[in-house]
Amino acid sequence: MQTRMSRRSSVLASRKLSNRRKERLIEMLFLVPAIVYILAFFGYPVVKNIVMGFQDYTMKSFFTGEAPWVGLKNYEAIISSSVFSSAFVNTFLFTIGSIVGQFTIGLAIALYFRKRFPLNDLLRSLILLPWLLPLIVSSAIWRWLLDQDNGAINRILDMMQLSDHPGWLTTTSLALTAVIIVNIWIGIPFNVVILYSGLQDIPEELYEAGQLDGATGWQAFRWITWPMLRPVVSVVLLLGVIYTLKVLDLILGLTGGGPANASQTLATQSYQLSFVQFEFGQGAAMANILVLISLLFAVIYLYMNKSAGKSS
Amino acid sequence: MTTASRTRTRSLLRNLMRRKRRDRLGGWDKTLFGVIILVFLLFPVYWMVNVSLQHGGAAASTPWIPTDVTWTGYAKAIQDQSGHLLVSLLVASGSAVFSLLISAPAAYALAVFRIRWANAVLLAVLVSQMIPGIVVANALYSAYTEAGLLNSIFGLILADSTAGIPFSILILNAFMRAIPMSVIEAARIDGAGPLRTLVSVVLPMSRNSIVTAGLFSFLFSWSDFLFALTLTTTDEVRPVTLGLYMYISGFISDWSSVMATSVLASIPTILLLVFAQRYIAAGTTAGAVK
Amino acid sequence: MTETLRASHAWTATAAMALAVAASALAMPATAIGAEVDSIRVLDYYNDSPDREIYGELLNTCGAELGITINREVVPGSALMSKVLQQGASRTLPDLLMLDNPELQQIASTGALVPLGKFGITGEGFQSQVIAASTYEGELYGLQPITNTIALFYNVDMLEEAGVTPPTTWAELRETAKALTTDDRYGLAFAAPANYEGTWQFLPFMWSNGGDETNIDTPETAEALQLWVDLLNDGSVSRSVLNWTQADVNDQFRQGNIAMMVNGPWQIPLLSSDADLHYDVVAIPTPEAGGTSVAPLGGETWAVPNTGNEAAEAMAAKMIQCINSDQNQISLAVQRQTVPTKMSDAVQEEFVKQAPKMKTFSEMVKSARARTAKLGNDWPKAATEIYTAVQLALTGKASPADALKQAQQ
Repeated sequence: MQTRMSRRSSVLASRKLSNRRKERLIEMLFLVPAIVYILAFFGYPVVKNIVMGFQDYTMKSFFTGEAPWVGLKNYEAIISSSVFSSAFVNTFLFTIGSIVGQFTIGLAIALYFRKRFPLNDLLRSLILLPWLLPLIVSSAIWRWLLDQDNGAINRILDMMQLSDHPGWLTTTSLALTAVIIVNIWIGIPFNVVILYSGLQDIPEELYEAGQLDGATGWQAFRWITWPMLRPVVSVVLLLGVIYTLKVLDLILGLTGGGPANASQTLATQSYQLSFVQFEFGQGAAMANILVLISLLFAVIYLYMNKSAGKSS
Repeated sequence: MTTASRTRTRSLLRNLMRRKRRDRLGGWDKTLFGVIILVFLLFPVYWMVNVSLQHGGAAASTPWIPTDVTWTGYAKAIQDQSGHLLVSLLVASGSAVFSLLISAPAAYALAVFRIRWANAVLLAVLVSQMIPGIVVANALYSAYTEAGLLNSIFGLILADSTAGIPFSILILNAFMRAIPMSVIEAARIDGAGPLRTLVSVVLPMSRNSIVTAGLFSFLFSWSDFLFALTLTTTDEVRPVTLGLYMYISGFISDWSSVMATSVLASIPTILLLVFAQRYIAAGTTAGAVK
Repeated sequence: MTETLRASHAWTATAAMALAVAASALAMPATAIGAEVDSIRVLDYYNDSPDREIYGELLNTCGAELGITINREVVPGSALMSKVLQQGASRTLPDLLMLDNPELQQIASTGALVPLGKFGITGEGFQSQVIAASTYEGELYGLQPITNTIALFYNVDMLEEAGVTPPTTWAELRETAKALTTDDRYGLAFAAPANYEGTWQFLPFMWSNGGDETNIDTPETAEALQLWVDLLNDGSVSRSVLNWTQADVNDQFRQGNIAMMVNGPWQIPLLSSDADLHYDVVAIPTPEAGGTSVAPLGGETWAVPNTGNEAAEAMAAKMIQCINSDQNQISLAVQRQTVPTKMSDAVQEEFVKQAPKMKTFSEMVKSARARTAKLGNDWPKAATEIYTAVQLALTGKASPADALKQAQQ
């Protein structure tokens, strides 16, 4: 027999449930614009690229819309090509070299700029310039700076009597290194700004409390800064890897993938296949391989996030 | 905290404040070192300015300091590119605002609401960053042609946000995760709905990450070339990244005009960025817990 | 009353009739002339000054003659192909399309272009190889008004100083380059970067020695590559050629860092702007004395995409004929440092009269060769192989013969 009290509580309970559902609806609305945008702008391209990897997509296909299905033939063709293994190794070296360089230098600069001094704001903004310049401009400037005979870099090295006019962009042993150096230069601002922002979010009190316990300098970094910075660090590294794997215009502008394929990466190979040899199916397959590699890192990131849980 | 430790903390704080005040007066030594860092980092930028002040096609062996300064590059750049610069500024600012409007609520929802498929959404966002731009550009060209969005600032804002929105979601999400749940729960207990919590509590605390996300959305859009090329067919609405190519052909390049345009384009942007970076201040998350 | 009503009816009727006649009279001229098209869309890549203005003027003049307006879309050179593909996929190709000549056969093979024979256009009187480049499976798809090629530029003062004359054979080229190389400068430069520009520059050496693009793994091509390797090893050519574009080479020449360079006539305006620089042009040296220097043909061709709008296509064809008129060819060629493609004495002599500096190029074009004449839409693969082989050999990674073999894998 339902007393008035229990009926009331069941009504209250059901009202709480509908309130909860209403709240849930509002929460979903927060996500809807973003999800709609992502699906609208990326949904079709993602699917199209995956499908293209399985098709014999030539120039004709653009005009007629027909592209015969060839299954895994594209993937077989590119993996067995003579350039693939060196491009794969180059991509690995290029990514690791760039990320390590950009991140460490970026972090060092971000830490330095935490200090208060005059013109801090202005200098921090000027650091953004490498990221700001159009790539056609940056690659032109670096091509001149790295010119073997007359480039400024070699002129400086000459003055310091350090080495004998290395051919930065024209020697197979140096080309990849040169490209990595330029990519580090371009990527530093990205790391500096985001890491600086993350550093600024760490409460001062923690450092002060740490000082009471005698933790300063390196120890403060290791026990306060680094743990608090970890979520920002992991997103910066992840995005850094994803963006670096895609780097194309910089390498094309500096060396075109040469000399003799010394600076050819999977991304530049994908471009070559599509826009120089007009084998769009193979180019898409190569791009999909890059997506799979990035996906691996993304999954690792998300897994680490889940286990770390939300900080409290 | 005991009274004794509170007094200790207060005196420590006072000492620190004093030290900071002293530092501000003598901080110029740190500025100098900061400038040295910049000199190394920005030497190529100096080269750009150097070339912009020289005649026609300059090559690797340009002198260190422009001995024979000419302003023809700048004259040309100002004459040809002012319209393009304006378009770039409008599109980039619009894209930054649009990206933040869409991504802030989404990042908040993913960080705070207990959504089971949050990671799936984040994965989708990440995958969108992995797609080569040309694939997106090709798809957009067809869609825009049918929708009549070619040669429009609005169309460019929408397209350029393909870089800003996913990035902002990821960055804001990472920063928002660091906000203590206790703060959010406190707001709910006070009766604030999710929107109110976002606007009145979380956003002020996320000021740093919002400025950062907005900054990069601006920069991504500012330096975009692909969509500028694909989604415009006339000179009416043409960003400066494409306008730059007026001086570059297959065989000849008028580098001084190119570099001059670059310098001119960088100046308003740097000013904007200095202004924006003022807002990345310390301690926005501090004090909330108390 | 009825009288006036009938009268007013009559008046209105007459007035209406008059209006109708007037309206149809106004409408008639359009249909009477037969021009159902009043504007056409054009796509080209003359994005930089002064090319942009020169071609803009030409298109507008031809358009005015035909009574139509021109809606022109201009893109940077490197972006033309992707635009064409995008527009092809969305069925929004322009009515008149400009293509770089080696790309025409690629596009024609997709069925996207209309054969010009349909409009009664033939390539008669044009340089035969120029026509070959714009022909696919026996049908003419494009008409090219002007062309260019590359030759050997040299610094007159430097050669005089060193007491040497411009080389005509490969052996002389090596000697002269060596003699001209000093501490401050290199004797010779060409462009050998990892893209089609590198291929373009190597072709005259390959072709003049009997090499062929259908199979590059031959002794003739290996000898040509060996010449380049020898020049590099002699120290007469800088290693930087592996990264230099033709624009870079020109800059180096202008600054006095190189005595001779392989380059094209488009550099003439820049070179002439410097009063202190005295230069002249000769044909690229041949292996033996008295041989023919065979250089590649550059220049852009104009085609009509298959848009389905017959009237617009016909109008575009008329535009092509206008662009290729004798007078327009000469005027374009003089303004753009190129050579008209009509080989009649009338055209060529008038041209050289107006642009004496182009005499050497006018001669060279007669024996020049198109890149896609033999391979058609298989050219991209061969072109990639050529520059890969060049880079392999010049970096010392392989001997010329091995490099050519490796590149073909």
